[in-house]
Amino acid sequence: MKGLVKGLGVTFKNLTRKKVTYRYPDVPLKMPDRFRGIQHFIPEKCIVCNQCARICPTQCITLTGKPNPDPEKRVKVIDTFDINFEICILCDLCTEVCPTEAIVMTNNFELAAYSRDDLFKDKDWLVANNTNVRSENSLNKRAKGAN
Amino acid sequence: MTNDEKQHVKNEDVTAAKDAPEEKAVSEEKAGPEEKAVPEEKAGAQEKTESGEKAESQEKDASKEKEVAKEKDKAEEKAEKDAVEGEKKAKKAPAAKASDEAGKTEAEASDPPKVAKKSGDGDDAAKEAAREKAQAARAARAKAAAARKKADEEDDKPKPPSPNQPKLDRIVEMIRRRVAEDAIEEAYINEADRHLPCVVIRPSHWLQVAQLLRDEEELKLDYLRNIAGVDHETHMEVVYHFMSFKTRDEYCFKVRTDRDQPSVPSVTSIWNTANWNEREIYDLFGIDFPGHPDLRRIMLPDDWVGHPLRKDYEPYDPEV
Amino acid sequence: MTTRTEELLLNVGPQHPSTHGVFRLVVKLDGEVIKEATPVMGYLHRGTEKLAEDLTYTQIIPYTDRMDYLSAMTNNYVFCHAVETLMGIEIPERAEYLRVIVMELNRIASHLVWWGTYLLDIGAMSPFLYAFRDREKIIDLLNELSGARLTYFYMRVGGVKWDAPEGWIQKVKNFISYMKEKVDEYDDLVTGNEIFMARVKGVGTYDAETAINYGLSGPNLRCTGVEWDLRKTKPYSIYDRFEFDVPTQTAGDCYARYLVRIEEIRQSLRILEQATEQFPDGGEIMGKVPRAIRPPEGEVYVSVESPRGELGCYLISKGKPQPYRVKFRRPSFVNLQLLPKLLVGETLSNLIAILGAVDIVVGEVDG
Ligand code: SF4
Ligand code: SF4
Repeated sequence: MKGLVKGLGVTFKNLTRKKVTYRYPDVPLKMPDRFRGIQHFIPEKCIVCNQCARICPTQCITLTGKPNPDPEKRVKVIDTFDINFEICILCDLCTEVCPTEAIVMTNNFELAAYSRDDLFKDKDWLVANNTNVRSENSLNKRAKGAN
Repeated sequence: MTNDEKQHVKNEDVTAAKDAPEEKAVSEEKAGPEEKAVPEEKAGAQEKTESGEKAESQEKDASKEKEVAKEKDKAEEKAEKDAVEGEKKAKKAPAAKASDEAGKTEAEASDPPKVAKKSGDGDDAAKEAAREKAQAARAARAKAAAARKKADEEDDKPKPPSPNQPKLDRIVEMIRRRVAEDAIEEAYINEADRHLPCVVIRPSHWLQVAQLLRDEEELKLDYLRNIAGVDHETHMEVVYHFMSFKTRDEYCFKVRTDRDQPSVPSVTSIWNTANWNEREIYDLFGIDFPGHPDLRRIMLPDDWVGHPLRKDYEPYDPEV
Repeated sequence: MTTRTEELLLNVGPQHPSTHGVFRLVVKLDGEVIKEATPVMGYLHRGTEKLAEDLTYTQIIPYTDRMDYLSAMTNNYVFCHAVETLMGIEIPERAEYLRVIVMELNRIASHLVWWGTYLLDIGAMSPFLYAFRDREKIIDLLNELSGARLTYFYMRVGGVKWDAPEGWIQKVKNFISYMKEKVDEYDDLVTGNEIFMARVKGVGTYDAETAINYGLSGPNLRCTGVEWDLRKTKPYSIYDRFEFDVPTQTAGDCYARYLVRIEEIRQSLRILEQATEQFPDGGEIMGKVPRAIRPPEGEVYVSVESPRGELGCYLISKGKPQPYRVKFRRPSFVNLQLLPKLLVGETLSNLIAILGAVDIVVGEVDG
């Protein structure tokens, strides 16, 4: 009997405590800066080096480049860039290797959709996903910039 | 750099590679992430503007250069590998002479890559380096073979300094005495893994050896930590990691079996841990465990075709 | 008239709240008593070991997150540890401390989930809410550090990805004092409760010899009196620098397993206290690692103490950027083997109590 009473004591004590629940989704959740959400893509920075597609463990990035419209420059520019969020595991490796920070993480995480086809995101969608961009992204940059 | 020259370099490398008996071992080395700015090659919809063509030809150049570099890598790898092999074999021979020789081999073989790195861009230098490497590789092979012969003559015991050597000797001796003289195929110390003593047992003696391992007062390997199947392409292997709660010693035992009809006696009657683990290995490798009480697939559905962790596995239904 | 009795075949799962995942038990019942139990698994088999053969070492780490998703840090660690052992890489001090801190936080989080769901299984609702309230605090900490709530992908070969953000260590310290209070509260709430005791005491008992023969590890082994914790007996990382006890019980029943886990939370807090105290001020978080990770030819077996037991990784490298073979010794899988034997002769309601006390994560059982 003693155990039961003791337990109830804890319960009553907790009744007076502050609430710890969130009012999500009425109030959006704020994620910490490092949070790995959905990628944002900046086509101007991309040098079509293919590193992100190569490092991706699930091969969910497909990209193609095209010749630079400016005949003076040899670097290609990005033509299409798709991420298949059906299989993307949000592991962060693509943003980690990108040498120019053309692909970066945002803190947005709401991906739910009614159809699987909606999870296939193309360049325009990724470009438009430009809120809450994370401040630190490429490890390449960090290694060079810091210290 | 003209195409001819490039061809030349390649040819030479190829001949060097042909000399090697284990040529096939060197496989398609994918370009590692260290190579930055690799041009996007599959740009199918490329317009044939002038600049486009220019870019393309440059691309080709770059890719050819890459190939050459790859070939270089191959030769390098081979030289290294041979040296390592030679070293390994030599380690087994207690004769100081053999290990001395292998040491030399290693030194020789590991020199050329450094040369190659320094002269990365000069074509002639690269050629030279390739030639040198080929030579070094050949020399290394010869020496390795010599060392191997010596090692074969001696009893197969690793070189002294390992702290676990007495343990290994003890267990080898015990198995030889108590089970059978030829129960052991090989015994060595795995130095990379904290000097873990490893013993390879012939499948026909495995059950007896297992019984001994658990019951012998001195060993009391009562805890079977892990069982892993491995497909070595030439043969299959089941790897057991043991530990004793009494002495806290760790051992690794391996049983090699034929690849077409793989079969290893089940040890479920000795360690119950083996039960599901053996089922898993049967499921994923197709190794048979005679004596197992209930050998069924465990992870995959009962009607699955094939054993996925085998290296030659082809999915029956590629869509799955 | 005599009553005719017949055995009944009952499927528990694959979708059953008490199986915590997709796991099926086929039980043969005589009335309420279990005659035979056959576990059926593989519903969550993703072939991690097969996938790993085609991936580079860095790419495999996020896959290990998904095996034991309640303690992804330990999984990360065991794989990195295997590669590092094979390559002989030195881990910088700061990275080691960060690793220990996140692993211990993760252990507490995992035990909290177990505590909450176990009590939920046997009929108590509120502990579940308390446990998840406090686990949320750990998840917030790890989220802030690594950028994910469950699949952290925090460790890399040679170190960790992120350094601790400013003030993070202080937050961990605050959490430790908060959690200490809470564990005592948990004790008050449940441990002495008569109804709870009636459900778990003397249920699912086995002895040390059986446990060892079945290869059990972790709390499932320690509940039989075997003092065996890899952090203590075969120290890896920097665990030899901390003072902590290995809690054991001798009864070998579900209640003993419960007590061991609660005590482990306290011990983890102790380790955390020391680790945050000793945390070095500056320094690297990545060791000297070649750009392309290509361990030399060889093989290695390493094991660490995960919340569920001995988590091992057997790695064979042939000098390629991809491993030749990776095998994970998954404690949930091994611990579960004893279950069919334990269940025979028990009632169906005890099945839930016994299964829950094993503490399985189906992602790990199936690999
Ligand atoms: S986050 Fe990971 S899985 Fe997703 S696209 Fe990037 S590399 Fe691929
Ligand atoms: S790594 Fe960055 S620059 Fe390179 S292709 Fe990907 S997005 Fe573009």
